[in-house]
Amino acid sequence: MSREAENTLLLLVGIATAMITIGGAFTRYVKPSMLPWLGLTAAVVIGLALVAMAVDIRRGVAHGDHGAAHGDHGDHGDHTHRGSVAWLLLLPVVVLIFIAPPALRPQAFPPSVTAVSTDVLRREFPPIPDGRAPEVAVPEVMVRAAQDTAGTLDNRLITVVGFTLREPDGVDLGRVAIVCCAADARLARIHLRGPAAAEAAALPDETWVRVEGTVITGSADGDSTSIPTLEVAKVTPIDEPANTYA
Amino acid sequence: MVSTLSSPHRPGAARHHPARCHNGVVPEVKRAELSQKLSMPVLVAAMVAFALLGSTMRAAVDDSDALSTAGTIFAGVFVQALPFLAVGVLLSALIAVFVTPDRLARWLPKRPAAAVLVAAAGGAALPGCECGSVPVARRLFGEGALGAAALTFMLAAPAINPVVVVSTVVAFPGQPQMVFARVGASLVTAIVMGLAWSRWGRAEWITRRLPRSTSGQGPRWLTFTEAARHDFIQAGSYLVIGAAAAAALHVVVPDWLIAHLAGQLLLGVLVMALLAVVLALCSEADAFVAASLTMVPLVPRLVFLVVGPAIDVKLFAMQSGMFGRAFAIRFAPATFVVATVSATVIGLLVLGGGG
Repeated sequence: MSREAENTLLLLVGIATAMITIGGAFTRYVKPSMLPWLGLTAAVVIGLALVAMAVDIRRGVAHGDHGAAHGDHGDHGDHTHRGSVAWLLLLPVVVLIFIAPPALRPQAFPPSVTAVSTDVLRREFPPIPDGRAPEVAVPEVMVRAAQDTAGTLDNRLITVVGFTLREPDGVDLGRVAIVCCAADARLARIHLRGPAAAEAAALPDETWVRVEGTVITGSADGDSTSIPTLEVAKVTPIDEPANTYA
Repeated sequence: MVSTLSSPHRPGAARHHPARCHNGVVPEVKRAELSQKLSMPVLVAAMVAFALLGSTMRAAVDDSDALSTAGTIFAGVFVQALPFLAVGVLLSALIAVFVTPDRLARWLPKRPAAAVLVAAAGGAALPGCECGSVPVARRLFGEGALGAAALTFMLAAPAINPVVVVSTVVAFPGQPQMVFARVGASLVTAIVMGLAWSRWGRAEWITRRLPRSTSGQGPRWLTFTEAARHDFIQAGSYLVIGAAAAAALHVVVPDWLIAHLAGQLLLGVLVMALLAVVLALCSEADAFVAASLTMVPLVPRLVFLVVGPAIDVKLFAMQSGMFGRAFAIRFAPATFVVATVSATVIGLLVLGGGG
C-alpha cells in the first residue's frame, strides 16, 4: 500500500472514531466513560494522518520515495508484506461507519449463564438513595440481593429499568451489563412476580419497561445460580434508552 | 525517508538514498510498485462500494444474531483498545526520539538478570492495556540485556499496573490473596520470559525492522510523528486481526465448556488458560469476568487472569506484526506455558487446592 493510501486509511480510522464518538454509537461497544479518551484518540489519529499528508505534499514525495520498502526482497522476506497488512484497517472503518453493529441483544447470551459473582464475602452495602422509589440498576439489585448483610433492599420500593424476557415459568427483567467493552458483556436478570407482573408478561419479548417493586427478602441468598425476585407494583413501557447497557 | 528499510544487497546506499532504488529495478519490484500505485484508486473504489452497499450489509448483520454479536464484539475489542493503542504509540514515538539504544543501555544494569528486574518494576508504573505495551516494548527492544528487559516490560506492564490491581481488588472483595497471587504469578511470568530470552533468544527471529531513526536528519517533531504513524498503522492492523479472531471465537466457543469445570483442577486450568487466549479481554476488565465465573474454582480463575494479559490472540497477532512471525510463534507458546504453570503453582500455594 502506498504512503498516500496509508495516510488516507489512517485519516478514515480517525474519522470513524470521531463519528461513533460524536454520534453516540460508541456506547454500544464500550462504557460511556470512554467518551473523552475516544475523542482524544480520534484527534491524535486524524492529526497524525494530516501531518503525514502535509509533509508529503510539501516534499512532493507522495508517489515516490518509498520504493525501498517494497523493493526489499533480500531480507527475511517477512516485511515485503509490510505494506499490504495496512489494508486490514479498512475493516474497522467499514464496520464502524457503514455497518454500525447494534448493541448486544439477549439472544447473544446462552440461556443458563450466571450473571453476577456471589462467590465473595458477604458485606454491608451503603444504603440506596432516599426517595419514594429510587432507581437501582439490574446488576446492582442482583449483587445486593445476594451479598448485602445490611439489608438495604428489604422492604424498599425501588425502580428498575430493563427489557422483558419471557421465560416458560414467568417473565424476567433483563439488562446487559458490561464492565469494559462488549466482549465482557453478561446478561443480568430479575424474576418479576406478583399481580402487576402480568402486565409485563403481556408485553412482547424485549420491550423496554420501567418497573416499580420490592425485592422479596431471601429470594437470592448467595447461591451462585439464584436470581432475585421482585414483587412488582407497577410496570411502565418506555423507549429504549440511549445506552442500553448497565 | 523513515519508511526506508535496510537491505543486504544495497547496504548504506538504500538506507540513505532510497530514491536510488529505482535504478536497479527487477520485475518483482515493478509489480510491487504497480500495486502500490493502484492502492489509492482501489481504496477510493472500495469506500464508494461499501458506501453503496452500506444498507444491505447493515440489514444482513441485523438479521443474523451471530453476525451482529460478532460485529459488536469486534467493535468492542477494537474501540476499547484504540485509546490505549494511541497512548502506546505516542509513548513509543517519544522513545524513538529521546531514548536511543545506547542511552537505554547506559541506564539499565549490564547484567541481564538485573536489567530484567528493573524492567519488571518499571512495568508496574505504566497504567495501560496490553495493546499499548507491544509497540512500546518494540521500541525499547535491543541487543542482549536490552531485549530481555523490553520483553519483561511488555509482559509486566499490562499485568501488574495500578489500574489492574485496583480492578482485581474491586472484583474480588475480601480476597486479597487473589490480588497477591495475580501480581506474583504475573511478575514471575514476566521475569522468567525475560531471562529465557537472554538465555535462548536469537536476534534473527526478529524479522520486523523499525523505520530508521532519523536523528540528525530532520526535525525532532518529524521523527516523532513518523514513528507514531508507523507504529499505529502496524500495531493497529494486527489489532484488527486479533479483534476479529476474538469476535469469531466468542460466537463459536460453547459455554457449556465452562459449566462442567467444578472440581476438575487440571481440566479447569487448561480450559481457563485457553479461554483467556481466545477471549482477548483487556486486562482492566478480565478480573470482573473471572469473578463472574463462579462455577469455576479459584485456581483456574487465577490462571485466566495471569495468562490473559501475557498472551492472547490479539497480542499474538500484534507481536508477529511488530517483532516478526518467527519471534511470535516461539515467544507466544512459551509465554502461555510459563504463565499457566506459574499461576497454577502460585495459586495452589496461596489459594489452596479447594478454591
